[in-house]
Formats: sequence, C-alpha cells, structure tokens
Amino acid sequence: MSADLAVSTTHVVVAPMLAALVTAVLTLGTRRYDRLQRVLSLLGIGAYGVGVIVLTTRVLSGGTLTYQLSAWPAPFGITLVADALAVFMLALAALTTVAILIFSVAYVDEEGQRVSYHPLFHFMLLGVSGSFLTGDIFNLFVWFEVMLMPSYVFVVFYSGPRQTAAALQYTVLNLVGSALMLVAIGGIYATTGTLNMADITRRLADPAAFGIDPAPVLGLSAILLLVFALKAGIVPFQFWVPPAYRAAPAPISAFLAGVTKKVGVYAIVRLYFTVFAAGVVDGGLGLPGLSGESFLAFFGPVLFLMALASMLVGGVGAVSRDNLDDVFAYSSIGQVGFIVLPLAVVATIGDHSFGAAATDLQVLGVIAALVYSLNHAVAKSLLFMVSGTVFDAADTIELDRLGGLTTRYPVLSGSFFVGSLALVGIPPLSGFFGKLLVFDTGGQALAAGAPGAGLALAGALVGAIFTIAYLSRAWTKGFWGDVTPAVERGEQSTVLVGVVAALALVVVAIGVGFDPVYSFAEAAAEAALDSEGYVDAVDPEVVAHE
Amino acid sequence: MSLDRQPTVIARTVTRLVVPLILVTALALLFQGHNLPGGGFIAGVLTVTAFALVYVIFGLDYLEAELLDRNPGTRYETESGIIREYGTVFAVGLAVAVGSGIAAIALGYPFLTQAVAFVEPLPIYHELEVASALVFDLGVYAVVVGALLTILAEVGSE
Repeated sequence: MSADLAVSTTHVVVAPMLAALVTAVLTLGTRRYDRLQRVLSLLGIGAYGVGVIVLTTRVLSGGTLTYQLSAWPAPFGITLVADALAVFMLALAALTTVAILIFSVAYVDEEGQRVSYHPLFHFMLLGVSGSFLTGDIFNLFVWFEVMLMPSYVFVVFYSGPRQTAAALQYTVLNLVGSALMLVAIGGIYATTGTLNMADITRRLADPAAFGIDPAPVLGLSAILLLVFALKAGIVPFQFWVPPAYRAAPAPISAFLAGVTKKVGVYAIVRLYFTVFAAGVVDGGLGLPGLSGESFLAFFGPVLFLMALASMLVGGVGAVSRDNLDDVFAYSSIGQVGFIVLPLAVVATIGDHSFGAAATDLQVLGVIAALVYSLNHAVAKSLLFMVSGTVFDAADTIELDRLGGLTTRYPVLSGSFFVGSLALVGIPPLSGFFGKLLVFDTGGQALAAGAPGAGLALAGALVGAIFTIAYLSRAWTKGFWGDVTPAVERGEQSTVLVGVVAALALVVVAIGVGFDPVYSFAEAAAEAALDSEGYVDAVDPEVVAHE
Repeated sequence: MSLDRQPTVIARTVTRLVVPLILVTALALLFQGHNLPGGGFIAGVLTVTAFALVYVIFGLDYLEAELLDRNPGTRYETESGIIREYGTVFAVGLAVAVGSGIAAIALGYPFLTQAVAFVEPLPIYHELEVASALVFDLGVYAVVVGALLTILAEVGSE
C-alpha cells in the first residue's frame, strides 16, 4: 500500500479494540497459568481504560477522528469513526467493565476462570468497542456477532438445566436476529450501493444524484430496528432477558445489562438519528398515525409504543418477582423504555413543521437517552453485582430467604441503596439527572405541541412509580427485617464489597459532578445529530453511478 | 468405535488415497488465497475434512495411537492429549493473525495493512509473489483448523 494515500494513521482510534483483542489472545495463550492469566486480564482492561481515556480527550479537544483499516480509502475499506457519540459509549463501557472484571476475578471460581472466562470477556468487550467505533454497516454486523458469541457461552456458563434452556432460547433468538440483520444489510447494500455509513447518509440525503430509491431503505431499516430492539431487550422482544440474565454469572449479567444492551441503544441512535435521518420518502407512507416524510417520523411512533410497553411490562414484571436477579432483569426492560422514550419523542417531532426548536429538542432528547444509558449502565451493573455478592455470602438470592442484610452487611446494603435510589432518580445521584432530562424532553415536546408528548409524560410517571415500588419491595423484603439463617451463616468477600462500594461512589460522583458529564453527553448528542459532520469526517470518495 | 462394525476395505483404501489429496488442495487454496479464490478459512475447513475422514474411518484414537505413536489421552477429559494441542493451534493462529495486523502499525501503517513484494528472477518460477496477507491467512488457517478439530474431537468423544 503506497503511503501517498491520504489515510490518517491516528492509531489511538483503534487502541481500545487492540487492547481488548491482544488481551483476549494473551489470556487464551496463558490458560494453564492461572495467576499470570488473571494478571494479564487485569492489565488488559487497564490498557483498555487508558486507551479510551486518551481517545476521549483527543476527540473532545480535536474533533472526530477516523481511521481506515488496512489503509483502504472510504467507502471501500472499513472505516472506524471516533466521534463524541462513539467515545461517550466507549467511556460508559470502560467505566463499567473495569469494575466488572475486578469483581469477576474475585467472584468466578478458579476452575471457571481457567476454562475460558477471561478470553471470552475480552472478546465480548472487543465486540462492544467495535460496534461503537465502526463506520461500516456490515462491519457493525460482524462486531454484533463477536459480541454475541461469547455471551452465548456465558449464559450457559454454569451448564445446569436452567442455564441450558436459557442459552438455547437466547442463542436461537439471536441467530434469527442476526439472520434478519444480514438480510436487511444486504438489502441496503443492494439499494444504496454502499456499506459505508457516511456514504449511505450522503446518498440518502440526495437520492436523485446517486440514482437510488430511498423507499426500500425505509423498510429495510425497519427490519434493522427489530434486530436492535431485540438486542436491547425492548418490548415485544424482551422475553429472553430474564432467563438469560438469571442464568449468566452475576458479573456477566452486569455486563449484559450494563453494556451490551447499550450497543442496541447506540445502534438505534447512530443509524436512525445520524444515517437514516437523512432519508425522506416523497409523499409519506399514507398510513394512519404515520405522518411526515422523513424516516425519523416513521420510526418515532413505533419507538414510542415500544418504549411505553417496555416501561409497563418491565415495571409490572419486576414488582412480582421473588428473586433479586429477576427483579433486576425486569427492571432492565423497564429502564430501557426510559432510554428509548426521549428518542421516540424527539423522533416524532423530527419533521420540520416544528421549525428551529425541533433541532434543540432533538439534541435534548438524545442527551436524555445518553445520560440515562450511563446511569443505567453504572447503577444496574452495581445492582447485579450486589446480587452476586449476596449470593456469594448467603448462597441464595431468593427474597423469601433473605432478610436483615442491612445489619449483617451494612456497606453492601448501602451500595444497593445508592444503586436503587439512582434508578429511582433521587438527587444528587446520577439517575436524578437522567430522569430529569427524560421528563424535560417530554415537557418541552408538550409545550411545542408534539402529538403524544402528554402520553409520554404519563407513561414515564407510571414507569417511575413502578421503579420505586419494585426497588422498595426488594429493599424491605431482602435487606430489612430479621436476619435469616442463610444471611447469618454467610461471610462477605472484601473484594466484592469493595468493588460494589466503589461503583456506588461513582454513581454519587456522576450526580455531584454532573456538569462535565452533561457537556460530554451534549457533545455526543450533537455529534449523533450532525449527519453532515459525520459525512465530512469520513469523506468517502465519490463513486459515479452508472 | 465398536470392533464388530469395521469400515470396508474400500472405505479405508479410498481414505488413504484421498487424505493426501485433500491436504495438498487445502495448501494450494491457502497459498493462492490472497488474490485468487481460496484463503485461510476454506483451506482450514478442507484440512479438517481430511481429519474428519480419518476419525470416521479409523476411529478416534487412530490419529494419536498410530500416526503420532503415543498413548491416546483419556476420553471425556477435555484438557488432555490431542484436544489440548488443538487448543494451542487455535491460540497460536489467533496470535499470528493479530500479530500480522499489529506489525503494520509498528511500520507506521493502519492496522491490518498488507503489502506485497515480487522476488525475481527465480529459476523455473521466474517470479515469486510474497504477500504479507499470507501471514494473516496462515493465522486464520490455524484458527479454523484448531477450532473445528477441537469441536470434532470433543463432540466425537461424547
């Protein structure tokens, strides 16, 4: 490859992925040396964290960075795009996974760690990072697969009948999802003639110049939306969530709920707000309830219903469960509803009939979704790890058999309390700002006269009340009351409690020092909505159509 | 494999003849893969079919007992004997593939950048194409062979 090609060689873009990839290979090669493997794994996640920090500072100070793998120019080669949105998600992933890996080393038994835990963990992290960074829609599919394959193994990690059943359902469902995704991506390639996301954006914005028809892309992107909803566990694709989260080891449930789910959310933001947002169907679809001509106006109502249903199903499910993991799993479904709701609200007003105010409101909606994602990633990982620590100490997470954890394990219970309050949205914790922004989006949309904004507010309110209900129920049944025999017998692990407490401090820190977090999320939201900036950053070569 | 159902002489003879052919074809696909149909993946799969044939016709222990001249490891034990070696092949292959990508970074090019050099003049061949992509392909080949044989041997022993 000649050096005269104008390709950037800012290797820092690929650094987080390389850290995860190299660590996965090293931990695979050192399977027979337990201690060395663990040390390498921890060093690897440290390198990942440093890579993300360096990349984040570079992007926030110097703007979007791109990287052409193999030095093939866009749109032919695979582009990595590190814009503010991608690094926001990477930062979220790094923050959570560092804690999760330290927790895992102390939590998962020696045999389990030796078998495959560390390589799989880093491969999953690689898949997540690749999904955030890639600027190529087929490559996105590949990273989804890289992320999913380790998760199949993790769901069946304890190899019991319950785990096998959960893994079978989880695997089959995701394979169907992947097949649909591949079909949709193939269709988009056939229609637009490109796989590069920036190139798709440019072509959709000006279909006549490139001789393409945007209408099929709308249908194909609707299929893609189903796949992302499946990955993110949004109703009506939520049913795999509780069995899978219950079957997986606690730190992996934290990973799946905290980070992997956010990949689905990220894909929705990236593809529908950056890429497909450029598309317009002349004359609209003419279906009832679906007015407007832009792609976003079609997806808004769909996302809206899914978000409302998620909040209700998650809330109702979580209130009636008798097991900490199940409560948290159903809660995840509900919380993803809170993440998607502001996106749905601002997608419905994406139509230009709302004028200049629409742009500001869209930024606000995406900020709300991102801040809520961050809050959910940290708080829900914290809660799943609390559940793991309780299981480690008391050998059970059934609410019936738990009680008096506050007396026996005050620090652990305090961390649970902080995590719960963050999900409920009590100031000054991270969740308060998440909820505030969600309601603010709804309120401003209502003021601007957006259809359904009142319903969104009402739904969010009901969802919030459910959150309070199921978390206080878990608290009173599991943590308060008399000390049960199971709790009395156990012994808590210092490392596990330490990690959980540290994450609880992070939850407080995000809330107290919210200003930089908000600016970061604002930069990410602006990047997400700046389709032109995205195209300019990648700057794919213009290929004349025949 | 139970002794009362030995494969026929035909099957065994054909296997003896075909296995070397498969392996040579696989190598040809591997070496031309960087710019002609072929590549590490398909070469690896083809190689595994040769192994699969040996496993099916001669039984699970034949490879270790007769060809490698040692005691086959206890079956049902995952981390022992030849399965462990398959795992090593997998890990080494992955390391080679990743290393070939990182080498490009060390030389100042983007990750996974490949280069090609033509060595000439050579007797008979005239010119030889040395592509760095071959290293990556070799890595992929080892990954595919290692992974598929692990699955084959492990599932086969159950």
